[in-house]
This record gives sequence, structure tokens and C-alpha cells, in this order.
Amino acid sequence: MADTSEQITIYIDNVPYHVNRDNNLLAGVLSQKLNLPYFCWHPAMGSVGACRQCAVTQYQDENDTRGRLVMACTTPVSEGMRISLKDTASVDFREQVIAAMMTNHPHDCPVCAEGGECHLQDMTVMTGHSARHYHGSKRTFTNQYLGDLVGHEMNRCITCYRCVRFYKDYAGGNDFDVFGSKNQVYFGRQSDGPLESEFSGNLVEVCPTGVFTNRQFSAHYTRKWDLQSAPSICAHCSVGCNTSIGERYGSVRRVVNRFNDEINGYFLCDRGRFGIGFVNGEQRILTTKGIKQQSPDRLTTLDVAKSLVHFRGKKFIGIGSGRASLEANFYLQQIVGNASFCAGFTAKQMALAAQHNQILEHHHIPSLLEIEQSDFILIVGEDITQSSPRVALSIRQALRNASIEKAASIGIPAWQDSAVRTVGGKTLSPLYSLNCIPTKLDEVSEQVLQISPAMIERCIAVMCQSINPDSEQSEVSTSTAVLNQQQQAFISQLVSSLRQAKKPLILSGWTLQSPSLIAAVNRLVACIKRAIEQQNINACALNVAIFPDEANTTGLLSLLDEQTLSTEQVLSQLEDQQLAGLVILEQDLSALSDTELAMLRERANTIIALEHSDSRVTNLADIVMPVGAISECDGHFVNYQGAVQRFYQVHAPKLPIMDNWRWLDLLRMSVLNAGNHTNSPLVSHDNINSLAHLHDFFRHCCQQWPLDIQVNDASELSARNVARQTHRTSGRTAQTANISVHELKAMQSKNGSKLNNFSFSMEGVGVNQAKDMPFTWAPGWNSNQSINQYQTQVGQALSNKGCNAHLAILNSAQLIPQWPINDAEQLSGAKTPSAAISEDVLVNFVQSRPWYMVDTQASFLPEFALMNKGNCLFISTEIAHANQFTHGQYVKLSYSGYQAITQLGIDEHFNGDFCYGILDGLAKTDTNITVQLSQVTDDEIAKYIEQQKLRAQQLAQSKANILERLKERDQFIPVRMISGGLDDA
Amino acid sequence: MNNSGNQPLTGLVDIEKPLTINDYKARGGYIGAEKALTEYSPAQVLKIVQDSGLKGRGGAGFPTGMKWSFVPMFAPDDEQAPDNKYLVCNADEMEPGTYKDRLLLEGVPHQLVEAMIIAGYTIGANKAYIFLRGEYHLAARRLQSAIDEAYQEKWLGSDIQGRGYHLDLYVHTSAGRYICGEETALINALEGKRANPRAKPPFPQVSGLFGKPTIVNNVETLSNLPHILKNGVQWFQQLSPNSDAGTKIYGACGRVKSPGLWELPMGVTIRDVLYGHAGGMQDGLKLKGLLPGGASTDFLLPEHLDTPMDYDSIAKAGSRLGTGGLIVLDDQNCPVAMVLNLMRFFAQESCGWCTPCRDGTPWAVEVLARIEAGNGNAEDLDTLAKLCDFMWIGKTHCALAPGAVEPLKSALKYFHDEFEQHIDHGCCPYHQNATGGH
Repeated sequence: MADTSEQITIYIDNVPYHVNRDNNLLAGVLSQKLNLPYFCWHPAMGSVGACRQCAVTQYQDENDTRGRLVMACTTPVSEGMRISLKDTASVDFREQVIAAMMTNHPHDCPVCAEGGECHLQDMTVMTGHSARHYHGSKRTFTNQYLGDLVGHEMNRCITCYRCVRFYKDYAGGNDFDVFGSKNQVYFGRQSDGPLESEFSGNLVEVCPTGVFTNRQFSAHYTRKWDLQSAPSICAHCSVGCNTSIGERYGSVRRVVNRFNDEINGYFLCDRGRFGIGFVNGEQRILTTKGIKQQSPDRLTTLDVAKSLVHFRGKKFIGIGSGRASLEANFYLQQIVGNASFCAGFTAKQMALAAQHNQILEHHHIPSLLEIEQSDFILIVGEDITQSSPRVALSIRQALRNASIEKAASIGIPAWQDSAVRTVGGKTLSPLYSLNCIPTKLDEVSEQVLQISPAMIERCIAVMCQSINPDSEQSEVSTSTAVLNQQQQAFISQLVSSLRQAKKPLILSGWTLQSPSLIAAVNRLVACIKRAIEQQNINACALNVAIFPDEANTTGLLSLLDEQTLSTEQVLSQLEDQQLAGLVILEQDLSALSDTELAMLRERANTIIALEHSDSRVTNLADIVMPVGAISECDGHFVNYQGAVQRFYQVHAPKLPIMDNWRWLDLLRMSVLNAGNHTNSPLVSHDNINSLAHLHDFFRHCCQQWPLDIQVNDASELSARNVARQTHRTSGRTAQTANISVHELKAMQSKNGSKLNNFSFSMEGVGVNQAKDMPFTWAPGWNSNQSINQYQTQVGQALSNKGCNAHLAILNSAQLIPQWPINDAEQLSGAKTPSAAISEDVLVNFVQSRPWYMVDTQASFLPEFALMNKGNCLFISTEIAHANQFTHGQYVKLSYSGYQAITQLGIDEHFNGDFCYGILDGLAKTDTNITVQLSQVTDDEIAKYIEQQKLRAQQLAQSKANILERLKERDQFIPVRMISGGLDDA
Repeated sequence: MNNSGNQPLTGLVDIEKPLTINDYKARGGYIGAEKALTEYSPAQVLKIVQDSGLKGRGGAGFPTGMKWSFVPMFAPDDEQAPDNKYLVCNADEMEPGTYKDRLLLEGVPHQLVEAMIIAGYTIGANKAYIFLRGEYHLAARRLQSAIDEAYQEKWLGSDIQGRGYHLDLYVHTSAGRYICGEETALINALEGKRANPRAKPPFPQVSGLFGKPTIVNNVETLSNLPHILKNGVQWFQQLSPNSDAGTKIYGACGRVKSPGLWELPMGVTIRDVLYGHAGGMQDGLKLKGLLPGGASTDFLLPEHLDTPMDYDSIAKAGSRLGTGGLIVLDDQNCPVAMVLNLMRFFAQESCGWCTPCRDGTPWAVEVLARIEAGNGNAEDLDTLAKLCDFMWIGKTHCALAPGAVEPLKSALKYFHDEFEQHIDHGCCPYHQNATGGH
């Protein structure tokens, strides 16, 4: 909701206030930062009037002294309205509501994970309820196992219905519901089992008390007030959801949502919330490799310089990545030179990038908030629920616009949630899906076509013709003849829906790794825009959004130029003996086959890897520099829209783990020398010791630095920083009291307050003094609901929200001619199926990657890896019959060097001539490929099943090991007084 | 024309063997429906029902014609017209002490079928449901066979009696919740959802069953329609001596000489029902108090015996006419135990949606049970009074909890001494040997 609505005056306890006409009374009261308790209402989910907690007294006029109780959340505001929050009747009633809820709420606050940030605690105190008058026994429930992510303790439930309203109504989940009646209402699944929604973790934040808890956090628990937090950006997809990461004693404890009205609002996906566990994983690289350390105590800058000294003046090729920050990628590009920089993209991905950049360059890319306002959505070749789950949640809200409009036509405002759902019934705004695999959004789609990538492109071409029949654009000659009846019907219905839409949206992504698909989207967008100009279509504007695969892919896209190398070019250039080698930045080169990787190793004299986790690259690198993971360093990510967002160091990691740019800085100092780089202003500069310093350096020394944002926003503040810890951090809850009752001395930032926004302590100014809040807390509001206190209007932008910088991308004109769309086979030449043996079947394959497997970093988490229950491959009945395949049988799938045993499934609703499925260990780039299916022996099957079992056991063990190690480490608090580089500690 | 007499609703009731469609027609049945379909437009029928002064017999007493007038009407070619409207008969009779609808459902099912044709025609509904209490097995069978007969005789289905009106009628047996008496909870249940009352607005007349305009009426209310159509507004109004038109089926239960149901002119006195028809109290018992219209109405005392049983008079006396079924309390039964029993029912039947009802009713049960067992204390009476206020009208999501509070609140007022005796003596004075504790 944009804050454009009319303000009216209402009187609260005889004081006039200006409130938003379009929202309810509760939102109006809270927007004035007045205290009025509530439970069932949620700013994103609207009002249902269940808990009756927000009752206020409404008076007819100044002379009315009695008034009547109304529920603020279900009451619209009107000009001159008079209400009281302080009158006895409403005060007493609100206290009684809490008293009634407390008849069944257990007094287990000391052992409850919600304690200290519990909305129920806050509201209880707020109403003044402090003594118990109920003498009866409490009802008890049996709890359920809901998977490894979310814990369940139903006895704490106060029956506000928020969980089911979120899970079922808001997020479209269908394995969670409300059961029973009277005061035995039960929220859970029909039977024990992992929650199936990608958004289940939001239950933890939506629940006003401790019914749903974060199991990772509970396993290695600390109170909110003992956490050290900093604002961060989710590193697990390109959406750029704002998060707040909490740390204590050197280990990351949890991620919670950080409100951003334009992007994630109040909700995260489970990958974003739980994926953070990888920071504590066993795969982390804790020491350097290939650098000789003089002192046994610690590594020094001198050690590094000595190890690198023989590279002085040598030429390196740098490979960046979409996982690393904009700064790190840019720095690497500057150090090696533009002509020696590779983004880690294959030639095919470079062509994809070029097509994507054209869209970024020419169109405004909508935020999730804008996506939620769409009234027509077309998804092209992207299972968005799995690749960028948070977007799917926004799409589900957009689909409700038709209901909201219908309700509005009989005078029911959008915030009356249950009323809107009554009126709307099953009315949905149209969603059309052109996909290769079945997706979760299919059930809310107007129409779905599950066809091959090539057919998707053909359908788009026909769509273009049908939208603009007189179109001169005939580069793709098409006719409806190539399509079957179902496809033609899909297109004609889609086009007629599109003609009625006011705010259409087209959405695609990188999952299919297809440049021609994005080119087709480009043509479709151009065609619709022309139709809008010619008024063939009513819409006022068309939105288009392409979702790349990694958190900073878009940042990387901005760095591409005509000199940027593809991985194929890197391989061939490495043959040049002049090259000292490769610097590989947080890149696992998954697009390279094992053969190619071996070739890379053979040809490169030296491989220097900057990485935080073990990977196939670090295994074969000569020098490994351990870099910080997302919670341990500073930088910026550029999301799918081009929005540049800062993530802050939450805690200083144990040395020698450092920010990637600190390592790159050491590399610059050692590798560049005046002799070879006379023109480079990079050479003589001092050591960089903060992100702000790095930006200054870029601004002064590098013309190409795309960002002109002030990182050093400490100047915006008063003289003091914002505390990373809450006011209540204190020694009383020290987990190490058995060793010493003293808390550690707070860590100092190397450059004091000048260059950093946040202090590593509880000393500092209030949380909302920074544009990015490290955590949310307000007097009387200890839970996440305290965010109300920092918004301009409840549910809307933060009052201290700065202006987010957007990166301008202007390079598609150079890139498109250089990276034309070639035949897919030609490009992935190195990878082809081995020659078919007689009985083997060759079939096209499209990869399906579930949300927990999409992102490399998050898939290190044993909890996520355990969700993968084995390989599966789906084929149509027709293919099954033709090849005498049966449902459930095992086959061997081969592609290039990859081989896997997989179970076959026959999808009766699917009639494509390709197969799709989930295959462990297959690179994400290996999709839309021809694979070979062959028979397996019983021995091979038995071996595969045995391997699966072993894998599950190992993962479970790894999970246990991680927890044990974390608890052990809590006893040895890392003593680091100053955050900074190697020599600062 | 056959006059419906002064007991139009029950005149054709035969509990042993309800009338078949032919016998029902021979006794003047389907004349009202025929008149409606042939002589009147829907708007004219609506006018007749409005003029008749018929009020809802389910308990709230809302004027039926006015309720119907909120249903949006459309011209046949109107594009805005919904593809359907619905008529629902609320036959989920679950109010303790009330069994009047059962008599009509089992005794004269065709009267209800005819009534639904008239109502459906008026509001333009082409689909109608009878939402029947699950335990009414006999009624379900009899209704279904009446409906089957009506289909055969072209009184249901497409083009009813060649008049171009289409109505399909279904019997839906409820899974059984008291809350389904609340019309929007009923609609949710009919849709297969949880039987929680809905937020209003939207009212069902605008957006009801499956989001379409819907009217929900009680069995007894609907059953008046054939007679109003057949005999006219004036006749209907003359049935009653006072401002509330028509007759009402009154009942009495408790320790009276002859409990039962009687169709009487609207507005006879309580005394008339209790002593004139139910035969007064059983020998040796005195009247202590009574609930005039089912379990969710306030107690009245012997001093109120001459109150006419119409909506306004009973309200003036401090209670509600409700369903018109008297529940009589004698002087040898404990009022605390009676209120506890009722409160247990309401706590059991709370849908669990809003806090005051969900957590307030069991709390009241806990306190009442303790007092009845002799473990009460002085504070408990304050707690009960507070709870009555806590669950009162305007504070809850629907009328269930305020209804639950009515007997308790009035008992605290009229039988305060008895409550105090329980607390002071540490036992129930009506059970000499009560020892306290559960």
C-alpha cells in the first residue's frame, strides 16, 4: 500500500490525531505510536476480529459519555471519530481478554524460546494483567514433529489463528490447518511430519508466543537480549530480502526478517531463514593453505606478502562470482584488469547475461511490493517457488487483487481479511504459467502449459503475433500451425486476459539457463509495450522481472564489458605461459565438467582461491585464503532489480578469516608493482581497512566504479554508533559463568566510530537511528512487532528509510553482439551424452531444483541436504510405454561425465517429449540437455540404496557434530578486541 | 378456499404418517405456492410477506420481509446478476429445551417444501438447502421422500408447474454443532468449512453461500408462508391479538405435569402456556423460575407469569422470547446446578473463534462447578459477574456467548441467596449429603 491516502482527524482521548482513511482504527492508533494490544490482526494479513484484544470505546460525539466497545481492528476510521483507550470499560475488557487467554497458557516462560521477545508477554504487561484468578486446571495438547526447522509446543497457544491464516490463506500451504473447537482448538498437521511450505519458518515470527519456534535457534539457544545483531541481506537468491542475523560468542544463532516495505515486507522463505546455518558448518575453511606462517600464534600480513612475493608484477586471470559482494568482484576486476576478468560464466551464460542486461537496461524492474499490485501475471520457464521462493509469496498476494476489487465494489475494504475472503471466494487474478515442470503455483493458475523450452519460445512467438497481428517483426516466422489445440487455447485466453489487465507482469529467470528464452521474453515485452502505445492493450504499464540465480548476479552483470572472458576463453588463455595463474573468488565453477576442471588445473600455474567453504576449486587450489561468510563481512549485494543493498558484519570472525576484499587488498599490495602497472593508480595506495575506505579508494582510483553511494553514513548520525546488542545485554545470563562471571570487553572497530555504523556492544544510539536497523526493539515492545514503532504508518515504509541506490546497467549494446545466441548444443560442446548403445534411450532432460538445493551455500546445511530423499526422474506415459519403463523402476542416467542411478516416475498429467526430475550432484547449468537412460543391474540398485542410507546417516551425524562443536566452542569465547585485518587483532 | 384455521402451522401435522403430496394437496396444500407463482411477481410476494408482519421464529425475531428485501434483484438480462442465489432453511434445531421445528419437519414435510418454493421464488433462488440437525434421522427421511414426490409432481426442478421457475432442493444433514444455528456459521458448514460465524458485513443477503446472495430462515418462519399466501395478510394478522402477527409454537419442559408443544396465537401469557396447556407444576413442586425461550434466555420469575409471550413484552420483562420453549425450574432443583449444566453445554458448543466465548465459558464452568461442589468462595461471585460482562453483547464475535450469559446473569440476580448459601455452607443446599469436591 503506497502512502498516498487521505488523512483524516480522529480524537483519541480527546486529542486530535491525523490517521490514514484507508486503514482500520487499530492501524491508525498504532501508527500514532500509541499502545493498543492486539493478537489476531497482522499488518500484512489484515483483520478478522477473533482475539477481541484491541477493544476501544467509541463515542458518538463529545456529549456521549458512555460510548460502546468496538474492536479497533474491524472498525473503519471516520472523520471526527472519538474513541478512548484509557476509559475503564475498555481497559478492563482488554485486561480480561488476557486473563482469559492466560487460563490455558503455561507458565513456562523460563524455558520458552520466545521468552524476552514474546508478543504475549508484552501485551500482558501492557494491559496490566498481573494476577491470576482462574483456579482450574489447564488443557494440554500433544505436540507434533513438524520437521527439523520448526518446533511445536501447542500448550502455549492462545488461539489467535494467525498461524493458519498465514500458512494456509496467505502462503497457500495445504498441509497445516486448524482442528477441533471450543477451547480445544489445535493448530498443526493432520499427522506428524515436516511442514511442506517453503514459508513455514514465518510461523515462528507470526506466532505471538512460543508455539512455533526455530529449531536451529532452540538447539543452540540464547535470549534475544544476548544476541549481537546486524542488518544483513539474504545471500541465498537474487531477491535481496532484508534480514537481521543474530550472533553470540562467535557463532551465528539465527536469521529473522528485517522489514523492508518494498522487498520482503514481514516474511522470508525458509532458505533465507534457516540457510544461515552454513556459516557454522563443518565445511568452513578456517585456515589458509599455501601461505607459510612464521609465528605459531597468528598469521601476519608479512607472511602473506612473503608467500605472494614471487607473483609481483605477474599477470593473473580473475574469476568472480555472483555470491561475492559487488566490492569484491569489482576489486578483483581492477586488480587483474578488465581483459583478464571472468564472471564465472560460460559463453552460453554470457549470452544469457547479455539478454538479461538488455531488460535491466531498458525497463523498470518491479519490487515485490509492485509485483503484489499486478492484476495479470505470466511466468515463463521458471519455477519461482523453488528458485526465489519469496517472489511466489508475493505472486500469491497479487492473485488476490481480483477478490479485493470485488469486495471493494460492495464497500468492503481490503484490510477486512475474512470479509474479503468471503466475498472473493475462489476469485483470483489471472496467472498464466509456461513451464517445463509442474510447479506449486499451478493450482492457483488460470492456465498452465507444461512444455519443452523450445515450445515455450514458440508459444511466445505466437503470442507476439496474436497481440500485434500486423507486427513487422518477422525474424521468427511462426504460425499457429506449430501449436496444438491446447496451446492455442492457452494463448488466446492469455491474450484476452492481458487485454483487460491494468498492471500486467511478465516474470522469468535463469533456471533454464537459456539465452534464447530470455531473448523471447525480450521480444514479448517489446511487443506488449508497442501494443500499449498503440492502445491495442489497456494496461498503463508493463512490468517485467528476470530472476538470476545468485544474490549478487545482477551486481556482477553490471561489471561485464566487451573484454569480459567466458570460462571457455579462460581455459584457452591459460595455455599462454605468461600467465601466473588464476584468482578465483567465491566461485565453485559448477558449470565446468570434471574434465574441464582438470584441464583448468593442469594449465594454470597457480590457483589462488578466496573461499569460505570447501569446494572442488579449493581442493585443487595452491593457495586458499579463507574469507568471511555473509555474517562475517561487509559489502553490498545488487538484487534482481538493481537495488544496491548493504550487508554489515555481525561479528568479527576468527582470524585468518577476513572480508574477501581484505584478502584482495593484500593480493593487490603484493602482486601489483610499479614496474608493470605504471598507469594504475591502484599501485601506490595504502592498505584498505574498512568498507568506507575501500569505497573512497574506488572513487578516487577507478573511473569505472559504478556506485556513488555514501557508505560512511556515520555522518548522518549523531556522534555515536548504533549498538549491535540490545540494551539488556548483561553478564547475568553469561553462558560461561562457570568460568568467569565477567562479560568480555566489547570489541572495538579498527577505525573507531567514524567509519562504522554499528558498535560491537550495547552502547550506542537507538536501533532506528540507522537506515538499516540491526534488530528491532522498542520500549514495551520486545518482540518483532516493535517494528510498528518505526514505520511511518503501520505496515508501510520505515520512518528512517533511506533512498536505496539502484545500479544503472548500460552495457547490453556491447554484450549482445559479442555474445549472440547460438545453438545450445554448440555452446555446451564439451558436455554431450556418450554415444548411445543399442537399447539406451536418449531423451531431453529439464532439471528441477527444489528450494533447499538451489543455492550452493545453503545446501551445505545438513537439515536441507536431508530433505533430498533421492534422485527421481519423471516421464510421460507415452515415453514410458514406448520404452517399456514402469513406474518406480530404477534407471541409470548419463550425461557427459555425470552418471546417476535414479528412480523413474510416470507423470500421468504430463505429455511432453522430455523428462524432468531432481538429480543430486548435477550442476545447475546442466538443464535442457540430452541425457541417456540405460538399464541398471540389481547390484547397482542395491549399491545406490546403500549409498543413500549412508548419506543420510552421515548428514545426521554431521548435524549432531556441528551442534556439539558449537556448544563446546561456547566455553572458549574468542578473544578478539578489535575487528579488522590480520594485524589489527 | 380451505381456511387454514387458527393453527395453520400444526393443523396438518401427522406424526405417525405425514401427508403424501396428494393428501397434502387435498387438504389445501400447494395453494399458497400456486398463488405465488401464478398470481404474483416476486416483488409482490415480498410485499405480502413484509405487510404480514412475519418475524423470524428462530429466536431473534427479525422481520422476514425486511431480511429478504436486502437480497439484490436483477433483470433477467442483467450482466451483473450472479449465476446463482441460495435459499437455506435452518433446521439445525439444537437449542436446549426446544423441539418445535422437529414437529413440523416430521409431521408435515410438504408444508416446508411448499414454503421453500415460495421463498425461493421471491428472492430468485434456484438452489435451496435444508440444513438439518444430524440427529433428526426421521425428519431427514420424511423430507427426502416429500422432496422426491415434489419433483415427480413438478413442484421442484425445472419449470415448476409450467411457470418457468426453477428450484432444486436438497437436504443436508449437519455434522452437529449448536453454532450452526448462527446463519453464517451454518453457511460455512454447508460450504464444508469450519462452522465459525463470519464477519459481517458482508451479510449473507449480499454475499452468503459460496459468495452468492443467500437467505437463511428458520423452519417455523418459512412454514407460515403457504398460509400467508393462501389466506392473506389480514387473516395472518388477525391470528394474534397483539402487534406480533400470526401464531407461535410454544413449548414447555421441566417438571410440569404435561410437557409438550402447542400452537397458540402470538402473545398468549406465560401463565396460559404453563398452566393452561402444560398443566402446571407437578404435585408438590412450586415454580421457582423459568427460561421463556430456550437455554439462552434470561430467567423470569413467578411474578412474570402474566407477561404476554411476544417479542416486545418478554423483552420488557427482562428476557427474550427466543424459541418460545419454556424451561421450567422448580423449587427442589438447584438453580446453580441448572446454570452449570447450561454453561457446560455452551462451553462445549463454543466454536473457539473469539476469546471471550472460547475461554470465558469454560472459566464460568470452572467457577460454577466449584460453587456447586461447595468449594466456592466469596470472590467467585465477583468473577462470575465479571465474566457475564466479559462475554456480553458487542464484546464477542457472535451471539453465542451473550446467550450463554443470559441464564447465568439473571440467576445471579434472582437467585443470589442460593449462590451465597452454596459458598457459606460449603455444599449445595439442594443436595443434603453433598460433600464438596469433584
